[in-house]
Amino acid sequence: MRKSRLLVFFMLLVTVVSAGAVVAQDDGVTLQLWGASSSEAENAALEAQVAAFEAANPGIDVEITFSPEYDTTLQTAFASGDYPHVFYVGQARIAEYAEAGVLDTAEGNLTEPEDLYESQANVFTVGGTFYCPPKDFSVLALEYNPDLFDEAGLEYPTADWTWDDLRAAAIAITENTDAVGFAVGADLDRWMAFYLQAGGQIYNEDGEFVFGQDDNMQAAVDALTFFQELREAGALATPADLGAGWSGEAFGNGAAAMTMEGNWIIQYMLDTFPDTNWGVVPLPAGPAAEGTLTFTVCLAVGADNANPEESWQLVDFLTGPEGAAMTAEAGFGPAPARMSAEALWLESRGEVYAAFVESAEFATAPILPVGFQSFRDALNNNIQQVLDGNLTPEEAVEDTVDVAQDLLEE
Amino acid sequence: MAQTLTPSSAVAHGSFMTQADRRRQEALTGYAFMAPAFIILLVFLIIPLLAAAYFSTTDWNGVTPLTRPDAYQSLGVRNYERLLFEEGIRQERFYTSLKNTIYYVLGVVPLQTVLALLLAVVVNQRWLKAKGFFRTAFYFPSITSSVVISLIFMWLFTSNGLINQGLGAIFPNYQNVTWLNDANGVIHNLLRLFGITRAAVGDWASVEIASIRLWDWISGPSVTMLMIMLLATWTTIGTMMVIYLAALQNIPRHVYEAATVDGANAWQIFRRITVPLLRPTTFFIITIGLIGAFQVFDQIFVISNGGPNDTTLTIAYLVYASGFTDQRMGQAAATAIVLFVIIFTFTLLQRRFVGDRAVT
Repeated sequence: MRKSRLLVFFMLLVTVVSAGAVVAQDDGVTLQLWGASSSEAENAALEAQVAAFEAANPGIDVEITFSPEYDTTLQTAFASGDYPHVFYVGQARIAEYAEAGVLDTAEGNLTEPEDLYESQANVFTVGGTFYCPPKDFSVLALEYNPDLFDEAGLEYPTADWTWDDLRAAAIAITENTDAVGFAVGADLDRWMAFYLQAGGQIYNEDGEFVFGQDDNMQAAVDALTFFQELREAGALATPADLGAGWSGEAFGNGAAAMTMEGNWIIQYMLDTFPDTNWGVVPLPAGPAAEGTLTFTVCLAVGADNANPEESWQLVDFLTGPEGAAMTAEAGFGPAPARMSAEALWLESRGEVYAAFVESAEFATAPILPVGFQSFRDALNNNIQQVLDGNLTPEEAVEDTVDVAQDLLEE
Repeated sequence: MAQTLTPSSAVAHGSFMTQADRRRQEALTGYAFMAPAFIILLVFLIIPLLAAAYFSTTDWNGVTPLTRPDAYQSLGVRNYERLLFEEGIRQERFYTSLKNTIYYVLGVVPLQTVLALLLAVVVNQRWLKAKGFFRTAFYFPSITSSVVISLIFMWLFTSNGLINQGLGAIFPNYQNVTWLNDANGVIHNLLRLFGITRAAVGDWASVEIASIRLWDWISGPSVTMLMIMLLATWTTIGTMMVIYLAALQNIPRHVYEAATVDGANAWQIFRRITVPLLRPTTFFIITIGLIGAFQVFDQIFVISNGGPNDTTLTIAYLVYASGFTDQRMGQAAATAIVLFVIIFTFTLLQRRFVGDRAVT
């Protein structure tokens, strides 16, 4: 009995001592950086930037964690109160996190904030407070397959295209080749661009959510009718129709001649379909205006932070002039959000992708108010129903607006 | 109290121990053995259940750290009202998910019970060689990751995937079904063959019960949901077959011999001897089948995320969507508690009608 007691005591002692040694080792600052796991190229680029930061700041260590189910993991971390120092925040989540009070503000913590694109910085300004600098951004543009255009004997798309040009080309290609003219999913994150081009607004000047209401109703109906007409002519297909996981895949394997995707398609095409020729122009202009959607992610600093100064140093480095230059040169797809790095990105990626930067001028981020997932699902469902011929555009818009009213009243 | 020392106990333990002492020691030993499992159940099951019940009465959004004093407000039963009784998008989504889940359960549970029994009977036959191989082959899907199986089924069922190619080869007039993105209900499709559509039936079918039209209540599972039901049945038959097999092997052979002597044929033996004798096993299998089917989540998450058109939205997926995508954790907890009550009720009902003490 005494021998086993001695053994247990000895084991406990070893445990305590080693734990103490681990704790005592902490003389530098270790920052936790959480990000959504993305393409290999993007992850490698971030690690390179962080390595450069650590080299320039010897006292600070950064631990990067990439999570596949990033939003869920981050949310549970917030809920427990034990969340990382620095983390990605997507545009869909900025309002919720700002409201929950888990973000630190960016005022006075950044180098040359005027250099950031204004439209990008506005995405992350909630209630007048600017929370986190965007690290890069993507915009939707029109990708086309010149080989299929040649086969149908058509001129390539240009930056001056309108809806009529798109419709004519899509129908002509569908009739004269095996491919479908235009591939796009029944998704708010694509269709909304057409709504904007038809003159619709998502928010009015007072910041109220006005999708499909009053004057905007006609814009929504027009945009849905445009889709419906293409569909009835057989010139529009969803990825599921073409047996592809997403429109980019259908475009890459030649099943569709045109699609609307963002900067992420650059690396995807180079990796997965290197032999497919393709070009890109800004999306066609609608009856009212040019318009496109932008998708951007920012680097935020947590509010209950033990090391705010070092955290802001890290964020400033990653999104400031040096970090933006590194993003531009790494060229994994999304462009850096600083105007000074624009030329560098075009140089490293190629002038042929200029459409992605030109479109930034008239890009809007399709952000919905907090708790509007049901609206997103309702709109996606209704777009699909219009494509399937089960609803008229008017009915679809009315139903979607009803859902929005329901949610706004909560 | 007088200490009673029996000579045998004194000899057996080599020390002086009373009856009471011994009982207490046995009890302590029992609790000590039970403690690890009990602690795990308490920490990972009971306490979260109570916490969920508590949060279902608040408006916590799931994001604001709980360490903050003002993280949430109490709402009483407001979440439940909004979910069950108030007209609106939340009620519509909940009853849609309830409808989908019930169709799923009604399809999957009987199918997997019957198929598992048939498979078990076949594998149990004396003339079947290589029983071990068949047992393993049928059981294999149950131990494979449900995510992996879902991905493979997705690949099989794409528009130009193997299933469509196979069906196209067998039926010359077959038109490719977009399995993964078809929101049309199966019953609706069947009725359409006879010319019965909503327009043909009349206005009474557009009456809304709990925000859903009567016509939509009888839509049946959608084509995509049907595919997921087939996937789930295929995955779970194995486990249930193994359980049935064990029960079948427990039936003594002399019962069958007596039946044969009395002149029963194979079908009569199966129906009047095997099935009644397997009743406790069937009860068990239906219970775990019900519980599992009501909680279906993995396949929905990988394949369809509740789409197309909310036709594969199940209650468990709605809990996830409310809590993490919609950031309304209080509402999600309320939905989860409602699901718990539903499963509990069904299990009690099932016990009453199929269980040991049911009236035949």
